[in-house]
Amino acid sequence: MTSKPLSIFPGHPPAVPPVLLERCWPSRIDLKQQIMDEIVDLLINRGWVAEDDRAWLYLCFDEVVVNAMLHGNEGDPRLEIELTVRVDEFRWVVTVSDQGDGFVEAAIPDESQPESLLLEHGRGIRLMQEWLDELTYYHHGSLAWMSRRRADRPTALPISDSMSHPL
Amino acid sequence: MACDFLMVQRYENIVLAKVMKERLLDAASITSLGEALVAECDRTVKISLVIDVSEVGYLSSSMIGKLVAVHKAAKLGKGRVAITGLKPTLLQMFKITQLDKLFEFMPEAEQAIMMYRRKPL
Repeated sequence: MTSKPLSIFPGHPPAVPPVLLERCWPSRIDLKQQIMDEIVDLLINRGWVAEDDRAWLYLCFDEVVVNAMLHGNEGDPRLEIELTVRVDEFRWVVTVSDQGDGFVEAAIPDESQPESLLLEHGRGIRLMQEWLDELTYYHHGSLAWMSRRRADRPTALPISDSMSHPL
Repeated sequence: MACDFLMVQRYENIVLAKVMKERLLDAASITSLGEALVAECDRTVKISLVIDVSEVGYLSSSMIGKLVAVHKAAKLGKGRVAITGLKPTLLQMFKITQLDKLFEFMPEAEQAIMMYRRKPL
């Protein structure tokens, strides 16, 4: 697996695309499946993600929801995670944020090291990077920004890109 | 630890473990399955473990990590592990994380059992 640098910024995420759905849940791991089902069904039923990629969605959302609840919020049910779904003409974006202090990239095992093959953890973020078009963290790592092009817009370029590269 | 969705058949040191669950996402299921598979490895020296996941549709990175623990337990007893019936998307996840270096992947459990019978440890 190629090691991609992970972007972790201290500041706020972009304001666009506009928020379509915003929900908060207490950090209760027993709610994880319900949260994931709701978001996965939304993205697939709207046609933004292909049914064949359902397993990828579960892998990504399991990773970010578990990280937010158990690491970011340290499993404290009084603390909430916030989830937003955003969409524009070409891509969908899901953000998941917690009330923790974030993390540093050094906390993620370096898979270029041979011994990392036998580690029993640390593959989630790298797997997400492979499938998503963009995985960026804001607020020092306490907000995960996951984005991928819409499955119902497979090859189109944004209008602004097309116009900036005239034929 | 008993795992109520794991069906195990033993043919001497060849052990077929079929996972009868679609979602391997919750911590309790992952822990239970991992412990049951490690227990099989601890019980059988030179185990040839065939894990049939043909009914599994979804798994988390924690489950992938747990399978690495199973591989290590098998290796400790000079054994080996094959994973069979992986759906294409899940197989892709294992290959991306280079776990095809640790496990043998085959479409059908019967193929793995036949191979292990032909090449005993």
